Parts: sequence; structure tokens; C-alpha cells
Amino acid sequence: MMANTQKIKQTLMISIFEVFEKMFYVFLEPVGKTDWDRQSVASIQFTGPMNGRIRAFFSKGITDVMAQNMLNIDESEITEKLREDCLKESLNMICGNFLRNFDSSKVFDLSLPVCEPVSDENTGGPIESSEQNLLLDFTSGKGMLGIRCTISDIE
Amino acid sequence: MSFNVMIVDDSNAMRAVIKKIISMSGFKMDKCLNAGNGKEALDILAHEWVDVIISDINMPEMNGLELLAKLKQDDLYQEIPVILISTEGSDERMQKAFAGGAQGFIKKPFLPEELRKKLYEIIGVSNDGEYTEDKTNADDLDF
Repeated sequence: MMANTQKIKQTLMISIFEVFEKMFYVFLEPVGKTDWDRQSVASIQFTGPMNGRIRAFFSKGITDVMAQNMLNIDESEITEKLREDCLKESLNMICGNFLRNFDSSKVFDLSLPVCEPVSDENTGGPIESSEQNLLLDFTSGKGMLGIRCTISDIE
Repeated sequence: MSFNVMIVDDSNAMRAVIKKIISMSGFKMDKCLNAGNGKEALDILAHEWVDVIISDINMPEMNGLELLAKLKQDDLYQEIPVILISTEGSDERMQKAFAGGAQGFIKKPFLPEELRKKLYEIIGVSNDGEYTEDKTNADDLDF
């Protein structure tokens, strides 16, 4: 189980880097800091040989940079809807990329990503990483990204 | 020679990115039609002709594979080349997509060059090879 958790963590990190570098031209650095101002939350679920959920937390700074870089627009042209769209799409790609990299021979079904209001329930304060609950935080220089991956059944 | 393209994706941002890549690749795009899912795509096709369809898979109402199946069942649409761009790139899904008649499958995240290369293979022509600066306008985003 421990080896599986390590593989999940490494694969997830690589997938996150790939998505942010290729689609948003944002370079991320892992950090140990878990206490920062989370402005937006997006969530996606997956089912298949492994079931789970990935939540992504974004600071305002990083969401603006993502939208600007992805779409080549000025900061003044960023709307809330556009920001939400970018966040959901980023999580969609992270999840799909992660599952494909984890095992491309298996078929997973992804839910449609949704934005959630930031609440104590989904931020939950300081969270301990465990075998079922991976917590990864990154800085980009422009803002912060947090990923919480919860795995519930692995075949 | 210019061509009409339809981009099918429930993400406005992704549609804008794909449109931008096509514009900057030297293709003469006459019309760029947008649909948020497979059903919308079929509704648009009822009164518009397109030369290529670029579609996501995971969408509400009608997904990309269902759209592909509908197109290939119809004598009028079955020859339209379809490129799927999706996060869902398992081996089995890709095989299913090609067996269903897709002419390309690009996995997200992707580099612009991947889409350009596939379009060159399918469309076969570009303009003089001149690239024009295309700063995406917020009006193009249909928000």
C-alpha cells in the first residue's frame, strides 16, 4: 500500500507540472506550506479500478496568471466566469493526465469538474497526509496551488 | 483555400485556445463554429457545413464519442474528419475512438504543435506559411 501511495504521489506531481507548464506556462515549485489564503476551489471525481476525488485550491494571483497565459489576454479582460472556466479545465486535465500516467491500460470515468465555495469543510484547515489523503502544495511566484487527492478503493 | 472548423468543448477557454492555435498556424479559417457539447454540434451542422471537427470527449448531454458515432452513421456527415482532444486518453478509449472513425486523438495537455501537425495531415494545405499575430480578443470568448 505504501509503494502504491508513493507511486500515486509521484505520478500526480508529474501530471500537475505537465499541465501547468504546457497549458498555462506556469512553473510550480513544491512547498511544505499548507496554511495560505485559498480563494477558489474546484473538484472532480473519478471512478474505475481506482475511485477518488481531486480538489484543487487556488490563490487569486495564480488564477489570474493562468487565465492570462492560457488565453493571451490582459488582466483587465479576465472575468469571474473565465477564471472559473480555467480552473475547472486545469483540474480536468490534471485528473485525466494523472490517471493516464498512472495506468493507461485502465479506463477511468471522470465527472465534470465543478467549482465549489471555499468552506471549512473543503479546506478543512491543516490536514495530515495519509495513504488515502494526499496533500500537495505548490508556489509559482505569482500565487499558490494546493491539491488534495482522496483515493477510496484501489483494485 | 480556406476552410470551416467546428470546435466542440464545454470549456469556453479551451475552445478559445484551440481557435487561437489554428489561427496562428497559417491556416485560412473561413468560419470557426463553437459548440458546448455533441448535441449543440449536431444542431449547428444542420445548417452549416464544416471541413473538420475538433471535439472533446467528456461533455454533458452528448459526449465526443457519441457525437462521433452519430456523424459516422449519417451519409451527409460521415466524411467530415474528426479530431478528438481529450484528457481521457486511456489505450482502450483511443482504440475505441479510432475504431469509431476518428482521424486524430490528441491528449490534453498538449502543445500547439501537436494540433498543427494533425491539422496539416488532415487538411493538407495552409496559406503561404505566413503566421499572423492573433491576440485573442475577449469578445471571442463568448462569455
